Amino acid sequence: MNRPTQTSLIRLEEITGGAYVSAEAAGLEAREVCGMRPAVVVSPADAPQIAEIVRFAAAEKLAVIPTGGCTKLSIGSCPARYDIALDLSRMNRVLAYDPHDLTLGVEPGARIEDLLRTLAEQKQFLPLAVPFLDHATIGGIVAANSSSPLRHAYGAVRDFCLGMEFVTGEGAPAKSGGRVVKNVTGYDLHKLLIGSLGTLGVITRVNFRTFPMPQAQGTFVATFSSAEAAFDFCRTVSHSVLTPQMMEVANPGTAALIFSGEFSARLEPRTWSVIISTAGLPAVVQRHEIELGRMAGPAEADEFLPLSDAEADSVLAQIREFPRLMIERAPTGLIFRISAVSGMLPMLLGKLRVLAAQRELDFVSLGRASGIFYVSFLPQTEVSPSPEFLGRVIGEVFRICGQPETQSSAMLEWCPAELKTSPEIVWGPARPDFELMRRVKRSFDPQNVLAPGRFAGGM
Amino acid sequence: MQTQLIRDLEALLGPQAVLSAPEDLMLYEYDGSVELGAPRCIVFPKSARDVSEIVRLANRYESPILGRGAGTGLSGGAIARSGGIVVAFSRMNRILEVDAANLRAVVQPGVVNLDLSRAVEHLGLYFAPDPSSQKSCTIGGNVSENSGGPHTLAYGVTANHVTGLEIVLPDGEIVRIGGKSIENSGYDLAGLLIGSEGTLALVTEITVRLMRKPEAVKTLLAVYDTLDDTTESVVEITVRAITPAACEMLDGFTLRAVEDYVHAGFPKDCAAVLLIEVEGLKEAVEAQAAEITEVCRQHRAREVRIARTDQERNLLWRGRKEAFGAMGRISPMYYVQDGVIPRTRLPETLRRIEEISRRYDLQIGNIFHAGDGNLHPLILFDERNREQFARVVAAGGEIMRHCVEVGGALTGEHGIGMEKNELMPLIFTPDDLALMARVRDAFNPAGRLNPGKVLPMGKACGEIRVPRPPATATIPT
Repeated sequence: MNRPTQTSLIRLEEITGGAYVSAEAAGLEAREVCGMRPAVVVSPADAPQIAEIVRFAAAEKLAVIPTGGCTKLSIGSCPARYDIALDLSRMNRVLAYDPHDLTLGVEPGARIEDLLRTLAEQKQFLPLAVPFLDHATIGGIVAANSSSPLRHAYGAVRDFCLGMEFVTGEGAPAKSGGRVVKNVTGYDLHKLLIGSLGTLGVITRVNFRTFPMPQAQGTFVATFSSAEAAFDFCRTVSHSVLTPQMMEVANPGTAALIFSGEFSARLEPRTWSVIISTAGLPAVVQRHEIELGRMAGPAEADEFLPLSDAEADSVLAQIREFPRLMIERAPTGLIFRISAVSGMLPMLLGKLRVLAAQRELDFVSLGRASGIFYVSFLPQTEVSPSPEFLGRVIGEVFRICGQPETQSSAMLEWCPAELKTSPEIVWGPARPDFELMRRVKRSFDPQNVLAPGRFAGGM
Repeated sequence: MQTQLIRDLEALLGPQAVLSAPEDLMLYEYDGSVELGAPRCIVFPKSARDVSEIVRLANRYESPILGRGAGTGLSGGAIARSGGIVVAFSRMNRILEVDAANLRAVVQPGVVNLDLSRAVEHLGLYFAPDPSSQKSCTIGGNVSENSGGPHTLAYGVTANHVTGLEIVLPDGEIVRIGGKSIENSGYDLAGLLIGSEGTLALVTEITVRLMRKPEAVKTLLAVYDTLDDTTESVVEITVRAITPAACEMLDGFTLRAVEDYVHAGFPKDCAAVLLIEVEGLKEAVEAQAAEITEVCRQHRAREVRIARTDQERNLLWRGRKEAFGAMGRISPMYYVQDGVIPRTRLPETLRRIEEISRRYDLQIGNIFHAGDGNLHPLILFDERNREQFARVVAAGGEIMRHCVEVGGALTGEHGIGMEKNELMPLIFTPDDLALMARVRDAFNPAGRLNPGKVLPMGKACGEIRVPRPPATATIPT
């Protein structure tokens, strides 16, 4: 549907009402995926409307991509087709919040920032310190499985999402899981939707467990002159009895981005930083400060500094927004999201650093104690390297991460759209489990209506 | 034809790895539930390759096939409902690797849950899921059922502690899903497979997360004279957002049975106790223990006792974990349920269970994971009394419906199996179930892998399966 036909528009307007179907250029442009524009933006009010829209799309062989805050639409491989952008921002209600049970049910269009504010009124929170906090919606955060530095202590969406409701590619409403904190009733289909980039279902409700806000918080920075020393320090902390809620390793390039003002001026240009935050009772925070300080000495830290509340807020916000900072710094850069066990990180980072140096690219990395790390390859000059050149770098990164001894898994989370000439560019070489994923996709979306081609293996 | 299947299996695995004599099969026709089902034969593979070959043979003979760990499951997951081949993983019981630096272990499915924790104890590590059967249940079974345990409250269920699987698909293909890294790009297949109750694939290797033992642990026993005070305490602990590692409740009836058996020092004249554990840094543990004590006292706990030694602590936990066993001393059979409710609905739910118990003239013991609202009412019965048994089924159904009505779930950790599959429509719509069936068929197209589990067969919609009729189990010939 390059141009929406009059009958299509009429049918969509019948479903949602005329005010909620739009072909205005600005709306279409905001929902571009890989340079592809939808023909129309439809803003449904509820799950039954979504079901009707998807059924209509299936019948007309149109492709649908769900959207929210439009902050992560560039993640994933290029869709094969894209006709209808489903704008879920009208579906932004909190459907159930029982602070006493520490459970929450929300619609996908709810903005995380608003949600955190609602929870804060009850001294609770969701451990989703995710990028694009001011625009990101729950649906998008879940569908992209956004990485949060708080995963180290609280787990990821898969660990605190209790259940979901969604509409399948056949336009059938479905659900799995539930609203209680413990549940093994039926298959955990909702886990498949986490990180599925809208390719399996349109999420219409997400149920979470919520967490009590800690009484006190403390953030500390230890600086080191080498990656090895920084990672050794992390290992010492990980194997101690301490219980930090976040531990991030920033390379010198990252440190320059996340620290600002006076603090930044104090850092040596070659400094590796470990940023640790802890939360809980004041006595627990104090204990962390004392013991971390004690560990920093023998670990050959150049400095060990507790941050003031204002400094901490600023640093934590920058860490949270790390992918966004990278994109803003160099829109033509490559940002990989890599998962590896902590013992492999120094070796992997070492190899990737060498690669960047050989290709004369800036290398910026942020490692999370949870086992997720971001590495970016950024052009050193204003002139962007050619797509062929970057394509070879991407291939090299997947080759390094694909070596069995690294036990790691990588995806290219952000890169210029013109590089995405095949799904392998984003997802890496095909793996044996892709065939199982293909079967899952067929079960949810047999006619390939939902974001076809955006997922691993071109699913 | 059938005997040819057994001959082929013996040729494949050796005669010592195949059981088919009626007296042997009898030992494998039940699990920890009240169900029965006779398999055609039991096989004992030693490797994923063995499993793959067994699966291929099963396909050639169009035989049902299912995996089995220790047979401690409570919903019939390991029962050969349609006969066929039982793949018993007891010879695949090696811990293949302990990677302490990265807090991972790689195990075969037949490794006993507690054996893994024991093997890494000297490193200050343990495997967090701790079902009551952990002395005998296997990690393969934990993966199939997505098992929990008392400490689920703080640390989550099995799915939160597994990063990689090796599976054998129903066509015999061996596939790896994930590994040691915390996530794997693509759909979260491990998240789907864990808790799929052996209906999607057979699991032949598991990579698990290990946890570091906390610095301090305190175990509290709060003793109450009324059930309401007990449940109100749990609500208050949740509302105040105190997060204990475990919060278990045993009612007076259960307690007396347990005490006579374990001698853990539980007071026998009380209405109920809470067994609460707090873990972490010693500062946090002290403060939480003090706050919990205060809450319990405010809710008229007669006594709040803190275990002074490891021995005392272990004894209290033994009392909790062996409670089901203790019931065997006072009743020929029991039927244990596993419903979940929102935690704030505990007081009314316990009152409802009491009322149901009276109305049906049945003894119901309550011992459960109060902190996460996961109930385990134990309905005692004598299987020879069919009339009583009908009441058990009806009462069980009422309790389950109550859980659903207050926004809960059918099962928190025991699984749906063949016990509750016909109850699935209480929670799920035909559309929900159709999608689950399509996902099952995507992995298990011929439906030969663990048939008759999880999804309703549509024969007795909305009914708990009436378990075994007395003394009519047939021995296959």
